[in-house]
Amino acid sequence: MKDAGARRWWVAAMAVAALLGWLEPRLDIYLADVLARVGINVVLAVSLNLINGHAGQFSLGHAGFMGVGAYAAAAITVLAGPHVLPTSCPDWLHQGWFLLALAGGGAAAALAGLLVGAPSLRLKGDYLAIVTLGFGQIIGVIVRNMEPLGGALGLSGIPPRTNLFWVLAAAATTVYGVTTLVNSTHGRGFIATHDDEVAAEAMGLDTTRYKIVAFVTGAFFAGVAGGLWGHFKLTISPKEFDFNRSIEIVVMVIVGGMGRTAGVMAAATVLTLLPEGLRLVAGLSPSLKWVGESRPLLYALMLIALMLLRPQGLFAWSRARPRPA
Amino acid sequence: MSALLQLDHVTIRFGGLTAVSEVSLDVRPGDLAGLIGPNGAGKTTVFNLMTGVYQPTSGAITFDGRPTAGRRPFELTRSGMARTFQNIRLFRSLSVEDNVRAAMQVHRTQGPFQSWWRGAGFRRAEAEVADQAAELLSIFQLEGHRHELATSLSYGDQRRLEIVRALATRPRLLLLDEPAAGMNPTEKVELARLIRAIRDRFQIAILLVEHDMQLVMDLCERIHVLDHGVKIASGTPEEIRRNPEVIQAYLGEEHSLPA
Repeated sequence: MKDAGARRWWVAAMAVAALLGWLEPRLDIYLADVLARVGINVVLAVSLNLINGHAGQFSLGHAGFMGVGAYAAAAITVLAGPHVLPTSCPDWLHQGWFLLALAGGGAAAALAGLLVGAPSLRLKGDYLAIVTLGFGQIIGVIVRNMEPLGGALGLSGIPPRTNLFWVLAAAATTVYGVTTLVNSTHGRGFIATHDDEVAAEAMGLDTTRYKIVAFVTGAFFAGVAGGLWGHFKLTISPKEFDFNRSIEIVVMVIVGGMGRTAGVMAAATVLTLLPEGLRLVAGLSPSLKWVGESRPLLYALMLIALMLLRPQGLFAWSRARPRPA
Repeated sequence: MSALLQLDHVTIRFGGLTAVSEVSLDVRPGDLAGLIGPNGAGKTTVFNLMTGVYQPTSGAITFDGRPTAGRRPFELTRSGMARTFQNIRLFRSLSVEDNVRAAMQVHRTQGPFQSWWRGAGFRRAEAEVADQAAELLSIFQLEGHRHELATSLSYGDQRRLEIVRALATRPRLLLLDEPAAGMNPTEKVELARLIRAIRDRFQIAILLVEHDMQLVMDLCERIHVLDHGVKIASGTPEEIRRNPEVIQAYLGEEHSLPA
């Protein structure tokens, strides 16, 4: 995607989102549900890829940022909405308020990303991973102890605002945001930081700043994904945004190929559809029932096989960019 | 002419070890200077002090009239000092052109928001960068490899690309860390010609740290000699060649250095 081409791509993708949003009432409920999950996971995986892939940091806290966004967005629609919006309010106003809630969720997550990132991005590799891991835990503990947000029981009664249009629009915007950010002269600095921090500094690049920009941008989109998730599930609880969820997103990035947006999109799609496929196979006959429960095992085997056979990522077909392990 | 880079009684200690002691030297605009010394003399340490990787324990370094103390390496690069590395440190997942482009970011104000918006100003600036990168690469006969990965170049080309990348930051002082490391005699002759050409074409000062006496004697107009962290001599190649202390440091007894 180059220059003006990127904008055209985004407009086309938004048109597809609008079309699918319009088709949604005519679609099978199950299909629409799966598509929404795919879109939300694309947002999460592509935004994490900016941090873990392009910029070469290692964050294990993406679900934490998603949680911040989910709660912030829900607070805007559930807690603040009724005070601001008139009781009989037209649908477009609800939709507009939801857009604001998504942006608010993203902004809250970005702020959290700045607070966590600014002091800790001077750390390298494992240390950053541990800090982000701790951040995810802290978010869980904070939410569990906040009565207005439902505490450990979770927050329910979130209005069903998420639809295919919003999900796909967010996915398109995330892909646009990450791709355009990296594909520019300024953006080459993210990859330079990833490749060799000492050389990048010697070439006049402020690597700390690059890392913070990647971290904050990634967190923003994770927050948007959280907002979408909350208004899709209608009930959120702190345990949904735990370490396991972060790992799921990390797996999507690794399977797709670190630093390759198209591959990561493909991996997010395939890994979201996989459990559905397994469930489908399990439903075929009683003798295949075990397949439905084999997901964790299959994931583990798949990851081991992947690391042995294709450490650069399953979908890393484009650009011959060799990545050291 | 006042000095571009000045070291004034610079000392650095690592624990109890004094790696560099009371070194004073200066590089003037347009100089082609060399820093030599036997293994372990502290050449690379001095280099790292100059580029802000280390901060001196005592003494002061000024670049372009401003003290460098407390400034990080990228800030010094922005103020006009660029370096290469003894062991090649190119950006391995970027193309040849993108290695140069990354370094050209130094003097640009385009940031994330311009990348997202992609307006006319952004497109103009990107086209300018592409032109300048192409021009630089063609001066060094690397334009044919523009879209290849930097690491797919031959060893000699990678060394040259490191110099091109450093020049892309538009320095007034270029610091070369053992540029001839791993080169054969023919390549070294070619390198000497290249370094002279860079100085003349870009009108910048060059300081090189080098092991190879012959290269330094042929190339440099001023030479500083370090031994055991102390500067033992400064002068023209002719003066250095005759300096008994230098001969002592290199050979341990009285021999003459290669002419």
